[in-house]
Order: sequence, then C-alpha cells, then structure tokens
Amino acid sequence: MKGRPLLYTSYEADQGLLNTTSKKVMLGLFLLVLVSIPFQVIPGLKFLGQGGWLRLLSTTAIFAIGALGLNILTGLAGQVSLGHAFFMGVGAYTAVWLGGPVDGPLLGLGLPIWIWLPAAGIVAALIGVAVGPTAVRVRGLYLAIVTLGLVFIGDYLFRNWASLTGGAQVGRDFPPLEFRWWKEESPVIDFTTPSTWFGVEVSGIAKTFFLLALLAGVYTLLAKNLQRTRVGRAFMSIRDRDIAAEIMGVNEFAYKLLAFGISSFYAGIAGALLASFLTRVIPEQWNLFLSVQFIAIILIGGAGTVTGALLGSAFVVLLPRIVQNFTLWLQSLALEGEGILGAIANVFIATSQTDFGLINTMAGVGPGLSVAQLNLVLYGLLIIGFLIFEPLGLFGIWLRIRNYWKGWPFTY
Amino acid sequence: MITGLVVLAQATADGNAFAQMLVGGISFGAIYALLAMGFVIIFKATSVINFAHGALTGLGAFLVVAFATVLDFPGRFLTSFPEWAQWTANVLTAFAVAALFGVLIERVFLRPMVGEALFAVAIVTLGIDIVVRTITNDFIGTQPRPVGAPWGLNVIDLGWVIIAWSEVIQIVVTIVLLVAIAMFLRTRTGVAMRATAFDQETARAQGVNVGRVFSVAWAIGAFLAAVAGLFYSVFPRRATGVDQATAFIAFRAFPAVIIGGLDSIPGAVVGGFAVGIAESAANTYLGFEFLGNGFPGIVGYLLMMVVLLIRPYGLFGTPEIRRV
Amino acid sequence: MRRKPQWLVLLLVLGLILAACGDGGGGDTTTTAAAEEEPTTTAAPAEETTTSAAEEGAGDVATDVGVDLEAQTLTIGLLSDLSGPFAPLVQVIVAGQEMYWADVNANGGIGGLQVQIETRDTAYDPAQHVQLYEELKTQVVAFGHSTGSPQTMAINPQLQADGILAIPLTWYSGWSDPAINSNLVPHGVPYCIEAMNMIEYLTVQAPDATTIAIASSPGDYGEDSNAGAVLAAEALGLEVVYNGTGLINQADEATLTEVAGGIASSGAELVWVTTSPTPFGSIYGQALAAGFSGALWSGAGPTWNPALVAPDSPISEPLSNDFYISAYYAPWAAESEGNAAVRDLVTAAGADPLDYYAEGVIEATILHQALQTAYDAGDLTQAGVLAAAKSLESVTFGGLAPDETYVGEPNERVQRAQFISRPDPAGLADGTSTGSTLVESNYTSPTAEAFEFNEACFSLG
Repeated sequence: MKGRPLLYTSYEADQGLLNTTSKKVMLGLFLLVLVSIPFQVIPGLKFLGQGGWLRLLSTTAIFAIGALGLNILTGLAGQVSLGHAFFMGVGAYTAVWLGGPVDGPLLGLGLPIWIWLPAAGIVAALIGVAVGPTAVRVRGLYLAIVTLGLVFIGDYLFRNWASLTGGAQVGRDFPPLEFRWWKEESPVIDFTTPSTWFGVEVSGIAKTFFLLALLAGVYTLLAKNLQRTRVGRAFMSIRDRDIAAEIMGVNEFAYKLLAFGISSFYAGIAGALLASFLTRVIPEQWNLFLSVQFIAIILIGGAGTVTGALLGSAFVVLLPRIVQNFTLWLQSLALEGEGILGAIANVFIATSQTDFGLINTMAGVGPGLSVAQLNLVLYGLLIIGFLIFEPLGLFGIWLRIRNYWKGWPFTY
Repeated sequence: MITGLVVLAQATADGNAFAQMLVGGISFGAIYALLAMGFVIIFKATSVINFAHGALTGLGAFLVVAFATVLDFPGRFLTSFPEWAQWTANVLTAFAVAALFGVLIERVFLRPMVGEALFAVAIVTLGIDIVVRTITNDFIGTQPRPVGAPWGLNVIDLGWVIIAWSEVIQIVVTIVLLVAIAMFLRTRTGVAMRATAFDQETARAQGVNVGRVFSVAWAIGAFLAAVAGLFYSVFPRRATGVDQATAFIAFRAFPAVIIGGLDSIPGAVVGGFAVGIAESAANTYLGFEFLGNGFPGIVGYLLMMVVLLIRPYGLFGTPEIRRV
Repeated sequence: MRRKPQWLVLLLVLGLILAACGDGGGGDTTTTAAAEEEPTTTAAPAEETTTSAAEEGAGDVATDVGVDLEAQTLTIGLLSDLSGPFAPLVQVIVAGQEMYWADVNANGGIGGLQVQIETRDTAYDPAQHVQLYEELKTQVVAFGHSTGSPQTMAINPQLQADGILAIPLTWYSGWSDPAINSNLVPHGVPYCIEAMNMIEYLTVQAPDATTIAIASSPGDYGEDSNAGAVLAAEALGLEVVYNGTGLINQADEATLTEVAGGIASSGAELVWVTTSPTPFGSIYGQALAAGFSGALWSGAGPTWNPALVAPDSPISEPLSNDFYISAYYAPWAAESEGNAAVRDLVTAAGADPLDYYAEGVIEATILHQALQTAYDAGDLTQAGVLAAAKSLESVTFGGLAPDETYVGEPNERVQRAQFISRPDPAGLADGTSTGSTLVESNYTSPTAEAFEFNEACFSLG
C-alpha cells in the first residue's frame, strides 16, 4: 500500500527480494551505474572506466562470488572454514584440466567454457562433500584448524602435481574467457579482445567486466534466495542452536554437508574464474592468505548478509589501490608541499633513502614500512577494528545510516 | 599395532637411520611441544584460539637477535663472564621482553573482546598475526639474521648417531621448562589459572583476579613461543638465522595442539613430540618418488585428521558439553 | 562498561572512500595528461598504431604514451619486488636506477626531456604484476625492469599485444629465445649457460673431480640452471651422483635436511646448488655436519649473499674456502671504469656499498641507449622505443658487465660471459669489500662457447 511501506498483504510480498520501493530504485540505479562504468559517461566516476580500475572491479566480482560461498558456510550455517583457498584451487585446476589445450605438455581436454566452468564448481562441491564427514564430526574451532590443514595439504598436492598445475613456482596458462560451442577454431564470443556490440565499441576488459558482473549478479541472486528457503532456514537454525535444531528434525549431518558442498561450489567457480582472469597462476597462489582474505571480506562486510559479502569484496580488493594512491599523494605532499601539511607528510613518509619516515616511498630502502607492508598492516588493523567496534561490519554501518534516515527526524 | 611392527622392522633393519630419525624427531618435537604448550596455556586460561602464535614466534626470535647481536644487552655489562654466559643473559632478557609483548597484545587487542563470540576473537587474533608479523618482518629486514649461538655447528659424533649440540640443549631446556610449568601450576597463580580455565565466573566470584590471569597466560605463551623461535633459528634447522619465514613454523604446531586436545597441557606436549617424530619418520622412510616434495611438512595435518576421526576431541581433550 | 565509538569507524570508512574517489581521477603524480588522453575503452590495442594520438610536438618527435613534450618529461615504469622474496636485491636495484637517471637528468636528460620513474611493488605475485602492468602501461613509454620469470611470462602476451618494451629482471634463458622475446631485451648470462661456465671453472680448480651433485629450488630459476648443469656434466664427463632438482622448498626445512643428506651421502667432489641464500646456508651447514667435506661448491648468482660470510655466520669460514661466486656483473670493488662510475653515483647519494646497485645501472644503461636512439630517430612512441631497443648492436658498460647486442641470430647474441669471485669475509668485516673478491672477468668457458643456443633450456610453458 502506498505510504505504508511495511504493510505486506501477502506472503510473497513479505518474502520478496525487492519488497520495498527503495530497494527497487536502489537496485535499478546500481545496475545503471554498473553498465555505464566502462563507457565513462557519469561525471565523477569516469576514472572507473580506465583499464586498471576495470580490472579491479572485475576482480571484485570474482571475489564476491567466492565470498558469497563462504558467507553461506560461515555466516549462514555457522561453520568456520579457513579452507576456501583450497576449494578455489580445486575449481581452478578442474577447469584447466577440462579446458586446457589438448596438445600441450600438461593435462588438458580442450573443452569449452560451458563445460569447464560448471564442472569446476561441481567437482569442488563434491570434494567439499567428501571432506565433510571429517569436518562435521568436529566442532567450532577444531573445524577451523582442520580446514587450515586442507589448505596446507592442497598446497602440497598442487605443488607436486606438476603435470596438472605446471609445478611449483612455474604454474601454467589457464583457458581464456571465451565462448565456443564445441572446439571450433575461433570463439563465438571472445571476452578478452575488443569488438563492437550493438554499434558501440567495447574493449576486452570491459567485456570481461560485464561477464563477471553478470555471473556475480546471478550468484548473488541465488545466495539471497537461499536465505529464505527451507535450506537457508535450516542452516541458520544449525548456526544458532544446533542441538535444538536436531531435536526439531533438522538433520544436522546432512545439512552441514550441504553447506560445505554449496560453499565449495561457489569457491570452485570463483577459483576457475580467477585463474582464467589472471591467465597464469602458480600453485602457491592458493595459500592461507587467500583464505584469510575471504574471512576478512565477510567480517568486514558483515557476516551472514549477502550485501555484506559484496561490500566486503569491494573494500578488500580496492584497499591496496586506495592505499597506493594515498601513499603517492602523501609522497607528492612531502616533496612539494609547503608548511604544516608538508611537514606532517614528511614525518609519515620517507622521500629518499636517507630521509626518515614511517612509510617508505615506492622505492624506499629505509627502515619504514613499504607500501605492500602498509597494506598488510592496515588490513590486519581493519579486521581487528571492525570486530572490536563494529561486529556487523560495513553492513552494520549501512544499517545505522539507513535506520537514522528512516527514523528522521525522530532519531531517538 | 601394524605401524608398530613396521617401525620395529625398520629399526632392526637399519638401527643407525632409526636412531638418527628418533633424535631428529625428538629435538624437532621439542620445538613443537613448546609451541603447542604455549598455545594451550593461552587457550585454557582465556578460551582464545591464538592464530597469532606465529607472530609471537617471529617476534620472539627477532628479539633474541636484537638483544644478542645488535644491542648486546645486558651482555656488554657482564664482560667478566665468559661469552656464552653473556649470550645467555642477553637471550633471557629477550625472552622477558617477549613475554611483555605478549601481555601488551592481550591488553590492547583482546581485553575489549572479552565476552564476545569465540569465532570473532579467533579472527581478531588472525588480524593481530598479520599486523605483528608484518611489522616484525619489517624490522628483521630481508637478510637472514644469525642469533650468534655459542654452540655453532658443533656435533657429538657417537658413531651410530650424530647429535648436534643445539639439539641436546633444545631437549634439555624443553624438559626443564615442562617441569617448571608443571610446578608453576601448583603455585597460587597457577591454581588461579587452572580455576579460571575451569570456570571463569566462579573463579571471579572466588576472588581470583581474572585479568591478571589472562596477562600471565599470554606472558607464558609468548615466552614459550620465543624459546621455540630461538631453537628453530639455529643449526640444524636454519643455520642462517631468523628471517621472515620463521613465523610460519607455528602453523605446523597446530596439529600437535589438536592431536593432544585443545585444552590439555600434557596433551600438547605429547602431540608436539608425536608430530615431530612423525615428520622425522616420514622424512627418513617415506622418501618415495611419487610422494614428491614436502610430504613430511603435511604429515602432521594428516596425522591430526586420523586422530580426529577416532577421537574428535583429541587424545586428551575433554569433550565439550553442549546444552540446548 | 566500555564505550564503542562507532562514529569513529564511520568516519574512517568515509575517509577512505573519499580518498579513493579523490585520488582516483589523478591518482598518479606524473604525466596526468597522458593518463587522461588515453581512451582505453575505445582504443583497441591491436589497432593502436592507427588510432593512438601520435602528436607532432616541439622538436619533431612522435610520442604517444609516457612522454609529455610541454612539461618536458619522459616516464618509465619499474615493476619491482619490493616486499617479497627478492626485496633486498630489488630495492637496491631500484635505487641504482634512480641514481643513474638522476645523473642523466642533471646532464640534459634525453634531448632535454627529464626522465621520471614510476615504481610499483608487485611483491613477486603474478596477479599483482599483471594488475600493475595494466595500470602503468598507460603512463610509461617502456618498462625499466620486470621482476620475476613467471611474472614476466604473465605479462608477455600483453606486452606483445600492446607493443611495449620491457627489460626482464631475471636471467631465464627463455628471454634469449626468439619465440618468446619479441618485446624483451635480456642482459647477463642466462642460468643454464652460467651453470656451464661455473662447473667447467670448478673442474679447472679440481681437475681430478669426476662426480657432481646438483640441487635446486623448483621453478624456472632452479630448473633452467640445473638443465645447464646436466648439459655441462655430460660435456665434461662428470657423473651426476645426486640430482635434487626442484627439491629445495624454502618454507619446509625437512626438504633442506633431505637435500643436505643426499649431497653428503653421495660423496660428490663438486656441488652445484641453485636456490636462495637462506636455504643454501642451511644445506651447506647440514652437509658439513654430516661429515661432508673437501668438495667445491657453487651456485647461480642469486644463491650467494654476503650475509653467508658475515662475522656472526657459523658457516663463514668453511664456506669461504669451498665456494665460488658466480655473478652477472662485476662486484663493487672491481677496477673498471664502469665500477668507478657506480661507486661515484652511490657515494654521492650517501648510500652504503652494495653490489646490486650495478644491476640497476646496467638496466638503466640499456634503456638509456634505447631511448636515446629512439629520440634521435624522431619516434618516442612505445613502439618506437621497442624498435630502437631491438636495433641496438652494441651496448657497453665500461667493464661493469659484458657487452650486449640485440641484433643477429640467437646463437650469436646470447650472452655467455660472466664474472667469478671468491668470498671475502675479512673484507666484509672491515668494510673494504662487499664480501667478495673478483678472480675472473668476462669469463666464458669452452663448453659454454661451444653450446648451440636456439631455444630456452627449460620450458616455462
């Protein structure tokens, strides 16, 4: 009813994904902005259309898919898992086994993307379910360490299975993002080279961005939908009070396995896409730090929420670029700025090898933190900070903003 | 039992290799036992799964380097004593400072998290690990830093087995520390710690200063991590010294904790030696081609999975009581 | 009760967002004009030559990216590992490049254009490497170096598609392979030929030796080098009694023990180990402790680090007797014009003596000559600089490194000469040297000379 936004007159309306006008409007605007980014038409956001930023946004989309998977497992079903990187690796190597060149020195079957991409997810899911029974037997933080073990075992496997992965430190090329019907000479759609769509020129990276954003959108929809289905409710009941859930008839074992399976499916897809996007991956890439990144994404974004997973991905992927820009700006300030600002900047940043500063410039050899180290420190501090001060993450911040405006001017 | 028979067969077949394997396994196991013990003490007293143990190890090792080679403090004041005594004094000071850092970390980052969900606290320790490890790595620099151990490369050659002096010292020190910790748990503070581990609220009601117990637990944990870090950074492990990879040894000690049981200190020690010997055995006997490179590194985790299948709470862990 | 300043978090997040938006537009301090000029969405890389904005500016020089004729600046990019496994070397190499270009700028730059450097930290991660390449390629005219073989391989297809020049900061033999190197100008002897040189030199020092043990880390570095070692052993009639290629895993000391044990029990008289300094030190120490002695040791250039013979190092003494250092360029204290020039640059900048500055100077010299040639030909576009580099017949370094050439058959132009030194712990302790003394300059062994080079010794796929 108009003017009464929280009055729902049917079950479908209550459970609807876009049940308020504002949600519909926001989604519409968001999609509009997303589509227009590579064409650089919106003032103020034009810089996002550059190659470097488009790459970052594409990476965000891939990480979002992985984060959605981990969100289902950890946020929804309450199972702590540090093994996400392992399942991503599994997905990536399944993809390359099926999609890699047939006549090369390494394993490959030359199949098209509509086979290798879903297969990556399915195989990862199967392995997730296979690992399940061991993981399901243990509880809480024992589980975290078991999944940690998965990452190390996976690292050992990938490094040693050289015919599949290319071997330690060497790696191999991954099948590119292109669409063929079945092993034709040239692809029907090639997402990595520029072409003309509907009369408009689009670059290769823009096409990749559209594809990845589309996939991320599909998986977001699936994940959001999961929350309101029977399976989603079962997950949440296991997270909150698993014994009570079992008494009520929720088969804890089966649903935990299902949670592992679904989350691994997402991880496999994300891993295959990531490897394809990066074109070349060394087996050491699927390490503990990657798993921790996903944990950080859901925590910073807001555990248990789909929007949180998306916000967190954007935040974590874009953070290094932001820190880099910030450091460059500080550096220019220290070198050319006058007065107080310049002096303060000089304390923070070292402008040459003999200058003192907490942070080195890009080439600094001094005692300060390098930019990559600064990234890591900020990253760790953000994880700690969000958990101490804002346990609901970015989503929680968004909630506060939204509630403030909802209740305005009666903010009390 | 079958494993036992296989081991026995191997032992009688090649006694020398077996003995060498055992020596290596026990001395490496000592390092794992120290790490596992520190981890479990922190867990028992504060219920925190400390993913930052690696950072504490790296920090401790670096402090040894700083005090022993760079600052030479307080060795420079003790010139009337022999070199090794000066070095020992420096190292002990480094350990004390490491313990202080442990307390500092607990106060700053973990006090605000008291009462929060355990999962959240564990992730906070992950964050702490990243921050502390990165800053420590920055100080360590990119070259390996030797610790200046006075026993160098010296070994005792018994003919049928070669034992490095550093291995002997590791085992002796570990045993001494085990005894010391066991005795400590009988002192007033130790009993307070055991009480807090058992039931925080009741302990508080009985007048135990829970905050101080937390600090003491972290101090001991950091201290043990530092000792482990030192032993890891000398011959024969990494003769070149402390570098940015030193902190990662702690991750290999997690299986030891789980095998022993997350809340059992004797279990941690048993788990540590078990993992050490398993790795050494894998190194000596499982050098098969198909296993490739680095298999001993994951043997600990495989052993952990097997143990968990049989006993989900570890060998000595207490099963969790779950209430609806 | 504790207070939780949520507004603080809000402020922090907003601040970061503002920082991102604010700096996103003109985030890089140099050549912003070039960044905005490049319409990346509509300019298809394959059609770059027809749609790129080639302007005829003052001085009749064609430019597209990275050169700003009004501001009189020219920008080069460095994809460096500043916080990963090779950070100690690369940080110094970058500093060396900066010193060189500062000197060039003081002497008029390139036709009056002042050279600016944009350095990015890739942390030895191929994904970061590709990302930063994409970011920098619209701002620089060429890449002064690109750290790491898998990383450079990862950007190689893009380099070829975009037509940009890069100097690899690795000595993988593939960079001399015409099937791979259309956009790369290598320098220094490749790993496999280096192995041939050094092993032959060791046999000269120990003429009775008949056995050799080899070991390495996995990857292009170890495999390429050991491929050369195997070829050398064949050519010289040595028996390979232990082959631990690809077995050294820096993160797992069980592998170090295994390799050390293998070497010790093989009883070899010569040992060739290709890895980083830390695992090498462990392996050497453990082999010694197992009773292994009397052999001569050597390894590829990056295996050595002066810290191995530092005063506190337990292996300093035996190592300085057993080890022969291989290098792609002359060490700090060598007597040559090129070395003197490096020493002048470094002392003028107030930095401490280190060998690695020379590498930065060498890379910069090559790029300098390419840029100058391109400028003289009137074409400072990315493609123009690439063509100029590929036309250089002779690049000399005043004795700092052997001459390089980029024209002719691969077998003719692959570098085969290198430098050999012995460890010098005394010099390191009292500061008179950087830990090594030169014994051979521009050395090429007969085996290396006779070797037919047509393709990479080890395939990186």
